[in-house]
Amino acid sequence: MPPSDADPGPPEGQGLAVAAETLYLVNLLLVPGVAFVILLVLYFRHRASAPALALGHLQQTVAASLWAGLLLILVNGLILWLGGYDRASTWMVLLLYFVSCHAALVLLGVVGLARAMAGKPYRYPLIGPRLPTGN
Amino acid sequence: MQYQSQAVAKPYFIAAIALFVGQILFGLILGLQYVVGDFLFPEIPFNVARMVHTNLLIVWLLFGFMGAAYYMIPEESETELHSPKLALLLFWVFLVAGALTVVGYLAVPYATLAKMTGNELLPTMGREFLEQPTITKIGIVVVMLGFLYNVGMTVLKGRKTTVSVVLMIGLVLLAVLFLFAFYNPHNLVKDKFYWWWVVHLWVEGVWELIMASILAFVLIKITGVDREVVDKWLYVIIALALITGIIGTGHHYYYIGTPTYWLWWGSIFSALEPIPFFMMTVFAFNMVNKRRRNHPNKAATLWALGTAVMAFLGAGVWGFMHTLAPVNFYTHGSQITAAHGHLAFYGAYVMIVLTMISYAMPLMRGRAAANSNKSQVVEMWSFWLMTVSMVFITLFLTGAGILQVWLQRYSEDPQPFMVVQEKIALFYWMREVAGVIFLIGLLLYIASFFVGRNEPEAVAK
Repeated sequence: MPPSDADPGPPEGQGLAVAAETLYLVNLLLVPGVAFVILLVLYFRHRASAPALALGHLQQTVAASLWAGLLLILVNGLILWLGGYDRASTWMVLLLYFVSCHAALVLLGVVGLARAMAGKPYRYPLIGPRLPTGN
Repeated sequence: MQYQSQAVAKPYFIAAIALFVGQILFGLILGLQYVVGDFLFPEIPFNVARMVHTNLLIVWLLFGFMGAAYYMIPEESETELHSPKLALLLFWVFLVAGALTVVGYLAVPYATLAKMTGNELLPTMGREFLEQPTITKIGIVVVMLGFLYNVGMTVLKGRKTTVSVVLMIGLVLLAVLFLFAFYNPHNLVKDKFYWWWVVHLWVEGVWELIMASILAFVLIKITGVDREVVDKWLYVIIALALITGIIGTGHHYYYIGTPTYWLWWGSIFSALEPIPFFMMTVFAFNMVNKRRRNHPNKAATLWALGTAVMAFLGAGVWGFMHTLAPVNFYTHGSQITAAHGHLAFYGAYVMIVLTMISYAMPLMRGRAAANSNKSQVVEMWSFWLMTVSMVFITLFLTGAGILQVWLQRYSEDPQPFMVVQEKIALFYWMREVAGVIFLIGLLLYIASFFVGRNEPEAVAK
């Protein structure tokens, strides 16, 4: 029998949780779309069987990615459409909005990734659904 | 405080904060001069105010770094500092030299100062950020050599840790690269080329090593996470900082007469520069989430996390925004640069020095681990006031910069510089208001040292 202070090892589902958060960040920073598709595949493949920790991170990152798409693509498209392509004010609002919003979404992902690496659940503020029971 | 000699850091930190106040006051004067052109003219012309604002920043950060090193090195090396007396002597030399230089900037015209200080013997003056008289620059070298000798001897006789070695590498390279301030070729392209070896390789190279080591030190202390874990993060972060930062110097070589391959090298490597800052943010949050103890100094934890986040935003995101050559073709030297400069310096270097002060000062003032709750609440208010107002300063300057680029450089009918400046005055006014709030935050920060002094120490929950 191992001693009581032995390292219990990573919590169940931590690898999947880290993968979900990483894909969320990769979707925002490196290969938008492709990483999201992989994240969706992970989600649909594991949603019935994943441990609570992993399921929580998968649900959060899928929801946050959808919000990110809405906030970054739709809202920017709206700004461009309403403001007009050839106006300085449009580009000022658009760039300020895009950079601030994108950076905020990335920072939320960083916190999510750090929580996943520590084996802890994380709910994205405002845009994340409720955590599944067990978290 | 484990070693008596760590106390020499205290005057360095006090001087750093005093000079920080001076820097912000001159920043407010400058901000007002953007919209009220003759404010305080001819007593403090714009170019002089700007010089004092930027030089004070550099000097107080150096005070902060030296104070941090004097605090960290004995603890990391598990031995007393080699010579506390030398540390105090160098403190006064540096402070007097710095004060005389600022008085010189303010009291006489710059050309007269150059003449008075014998600049013609070894001309080094007249370049942005390196405006100090040659004699002051020699003084800085002497102080740095004495400082490196002092901390170096301490490291050599004691325990060597990754944190202390990374800090030492950063400090030695800081001193070595400063020597390029003495190289002043007639060829303007060469001049700019090597000028960046001081300016860029400091802030986007070796200062990152200093920053990462201070952050690692504070995180080890407040989280109790294993040193081995922190060391691994540190290796990766500093490797990435150097790999991206050194060749990333190329983003300053666009369109200044250097070969065109710098457009590619600069763009590619500086586009990668946000990575170490991103890693630092993950590192800081990861350490705090994996903490083995709850440290009672909540304010220091807040500063440490804030440093990582704001450095990523200021140096990483706002740097990336205008680092690619085709973008920089339009944005170079506009208010977008000013926005990036403000947030990057604040996030990366101001905040890391304040993190260190926040952690070390209570211990140097006789507390076992942290200030009273009351004091920490005031300090955390100052954190939020300064940080949020700096975010607004950055957003206002970015807005001003985008309009400036559009009206002055991008549109089919470009307008003259001063015409555009008038059109973006509203942003400058808003920046000034945010600057006043920043000053209030800074004053609160100072007040936090005096509030709740007689109250019991905060305890970990």
